[in-house]
Parts: sequence; C-alpha cells; structure tokens
Amino acid sequence: MLLLHLGAFHLDIDSKQATFWHSLAPRTRLLCALLMVFAIALTPNGRWWTWAIYGLGVLGVVFFSRVTKKVLLKRIAVEFAFIGTVLLGTLFRDGGEVLWSWGILRITTEGLTVLGSVTIKALLSLLTLNILTLTTSVPALLNALTALRVPPLLVATLASMYRYIGVLIKEFQAMRKAAASRNLARNNVWQRFVIGNMMGTLFIRTFERGERVYQAMLARGYQGVPVVEKVPSGGRRDVFVLTFTIILALLGQSIYLPY
Amino acid sequence: MSFSSSLFWNWQPSLALHIPDGFLSLPISLITWVIAIALIIVSLKQVEAKYQERTVPIMGVCAAFIFAAQMINFPIPGGTSGHLLGGTLAGILLGPWAAALVVSVVFIVQAVIFQDGGITVLGANIVNMGLIGTFGGYYIYRAIRSTIGRDSWRGMAIATAVSAWASVFIASILTALQLALSGTVPLNVAISAMAFWHLLIGIGEALITLAVVSFIWRTRPDLLYGSANNRKVSDSRPLIQR
Repeated sequence: MLLLHLGAFHLDIDSKQATFWHSLAPRTRLLCALLMVFAIALTPNGRWWTWAIYGLGVLGVVFFSRVTKKVLLKRIAVEFAFIGTVLLGTLFRDGGEVLWSWGILRITTEGLTVLGSVTIKALLSLLTLNILTLTTSVPALLNALTALRVPPLLVATLASMYRYIGVLIKEFQAMRKAAASRNLARNNVWQRFVIGNMMGTLFIRTFERGERVYQAMLARGYQGVPVVEKVPSGGRRDVFVLTFTIILALLGQSIYLPY
Repeated sequence: MSFSSSLFWNWQPSLALHIPDGFLSLPISLITWVIAIALIIVSLKQVEAKYQERTVPIMGVCAAFIFAAQMINFPIPGGTSGHLLGGTLAGILLGPWAAALVVSVVFIVQAVIFQDGGITVLGANIVNMGLIGTFGGYYIYRAIRSTIGRDSWRGMAIATAVSAWASVFIASILTALQLALSGTVPLNVAISAMAFWHLLIGIGEALITLAVVSFIWRTRPDLLYGSANNRKVSDSRPLIQR
C-alpha cells in the first residue's frame, strides 16, 4: 500500500521484460498464480514438505521472471509487517507440550506449529501474488479476468474503479490543501467535522462525476454492454506451464497422502 | 498540525478485518467463497436492473470513493487515529445491493492488485464486510430510523451512528469466529482481541459515518438512498401542456 502514490502508482515495474514467464498469456500467469496460492494457503497446518515443494516452484518463477528482487522484498516486508500482529495471536494456545510459560502466556509445540505454518503460507502467497502484479499490468490482469469468464459487467466496473482511484485521491488532496490553508485543524472534534464534510463533498462530487462519465461514455457509443477485448488465449507454452503447475500442486499434496 | 500528510493519509490496510492468505482453512474458505460469489452475482443483477446502462460508471466511481475514503485517516477519541471501513456508509448512500457490489469490488481490487487481504480468503472478507457490513448495517439503520422517526435528523443520526458501530463490531466477531473455526487463533483470544479493538474502531467508524451523512443530509439529501426524490429524475413539469 505504500506504493500507492498520488494516483500515479506504478505497480508493474517489471512488465516490459522478455522472459519465458513474460511470454505467457496474462490469463495463464493469473491462473498459475491463483492455483499456487490456493494450493499453498489451503494446505492444512504442519505439512512442511508440501510447502518446501511449492516454495521451490515459487522461487523458480522469481528466478525465471527476473523480477527486481529489491522491490519484491521491500513490498513483501511492508505487507508482512501488517500480518505480524495477527500472527502473534496464533502462538499462545493450549495443546501439545508446553515449552515456555510465563503467567497465563504459554508457548506450546502446537502453537509453534500453527505459527510456523501460517507464516509460511502467508509469505509464499504474498511472494506469488507480488510476482504476478510486478510482471503483469493491471489492464492485462483485467483482460485475463474476462478471459476466465468473470462477468464482463464486473470486470468493467473494476476497470472503471481502478481508473478513478487516482482522480479521487487528487481531488481529496486538493480539498485537504484548501482546508489546511484556511486553518481548519483546530482540535480533534473540529478536525473530524471537517474531514466528514470533505468526505461528504467528495461523495457528492463522485456521484455527479459518475453521471458525467456516463454521458461521456454514451457520447462515445456505449450501449450498456462493456466492450470485450480479444485476448490471446496462449499457445503450447501456456498449456505446458499450466499442466506443470497443476502437477506441482498435486505433487505437493500427494506427499502426505499415505498418512 | 495533524493535517500533516503522515498522519492524515493512512497507507496501511485495515489490519484486522482484511484476513491475509493462509489464515483460513479449506472448508471455511470454500463456504465463504460460495456465499460471496452468490452475493456478487445477485447484487450485479439487482444493480443492473436499477441503474441499467449507468451501472459501470456509477458503481465504478462509487467503489473508487469507498477505496479513497478508506485511506483517509481521522482522529478518534482516545488519542489514536482510525479510518473508515465504509460498509454502512455505502449502504446508507447507495442502498444495500449497490453497496454490497461496491464493497466487493473494493475488496477484489485490494486483494488482486494491492495484496491487501488474501485471495483465498477474499470470499470471507467479502462476506464479513460486503454482506454483514452493508446489509447488516443498512437494515439496522433502517429499523432504527423508522422507529425513532424517518424524517427527523435525530432519528437519522442515531440510526447512522448505531448501525455503523454495530456493523463493524458484528463483522469483527464474525472474522474472529472464522479464524477460530479454521484453527488459526484460539476462540477466546480471537473473540476478546477482536471485540475489544473493534469496540473502539467502531466508535471511530460511527463518528465519521455520522459526519459524512450529516453533511449530505444538509446539502444533498436527495442523494441518500430511499429519499423521496431519489426515485424520479425530476418533479418539475413543463409549463406548457402539450
């Protein structure tokens, strides 16, 4: 979220490269990432070897897609910091052997298992999704969603929202500047009042903007049905990568099958 | 002073109610995904029936509004600062169906593009805030408002504040239950921690929702969902009868 700068957020810094990963259709990349994240995150706690296999797969993609490691690590560090506090809650629980105790706080083997599992799951999922958004532009992602049969109306709404976030943030910042220059920050109660008014104004302007956008769309021949762009469905490579991902996902799960 | 940008802009995700990936088990994820997908499909149908061709532009900008509003930091009593979750605000302004759609869209964009909240738990996040926050909040608001008095500001104010607080609180309890049922956080820890924090966060939500609604009540009451002028475009008639 720290990367969201003033409407000009640039998320896909690595989308212009030419590697094997980039040559895949956005749809394939999205599908592979989703498949991996679901496989990673929905594996029951304590299956370390499964995540070891998935981790190798994800690291392979990090390597092949040649994403900028520094940016990747920075983003994950920021995102992970917020997960940290929730993670702490998983540690203190009953069950298993008691390893350490202090008053009512007790660290048990089961607590450690859950903490370790959830940490790995969250980390690997973040890694996968960050690679996806670093290498795939937002329009490409939205196209991929259309290709995956998400209702076009929903995708069009997503696209329209994404376009206007920056505009609305700029508009709010203009209001904030206006309020600050008029010294409207006396105390907390007053400040809340002013921010409430600003948000109210922003909503009214937003709703009116929606009407104007609609008029503009009509003027350009909009007929209520979003235009669905043709997207490359991918060739033999895509099928190969997708099959490989499925095999990897199943392989990871199969380790623990006999138990 | 506090208008400085570091305090004013909240770049951090709303920590507690956006569950990250890996925190929910397979059954909980599946159930909430099914509910969320059904909710999105039905609300898309409902919204399309009401807004017709205007669905995409209006819902798009409203979702952007909720997204932007969630990033604005404001001081809450007790010295800390909080930010809006916006479910009930969206419900009061747009009605429950449109609000559910808007909040779901916000969550999808946050999860897919900004990695704020996980993908596998997107269903749970949508159910907690998109369903409970909007529908729960909206119906509590409507019930209170019609009991105290539909057209008085007092009724409107109490209804807004109570429903905004309640929607956050109920959503946090539901989140805690999902975390506990998945075996991630023990039930007593989850409930007590979540309930305690969201008692406070809910107060912030109530205050800011109230401030926003009061502004719109004073300036453009026709934009509130369900107001008498909302249904038709204009009451005026041409002077010359044709």
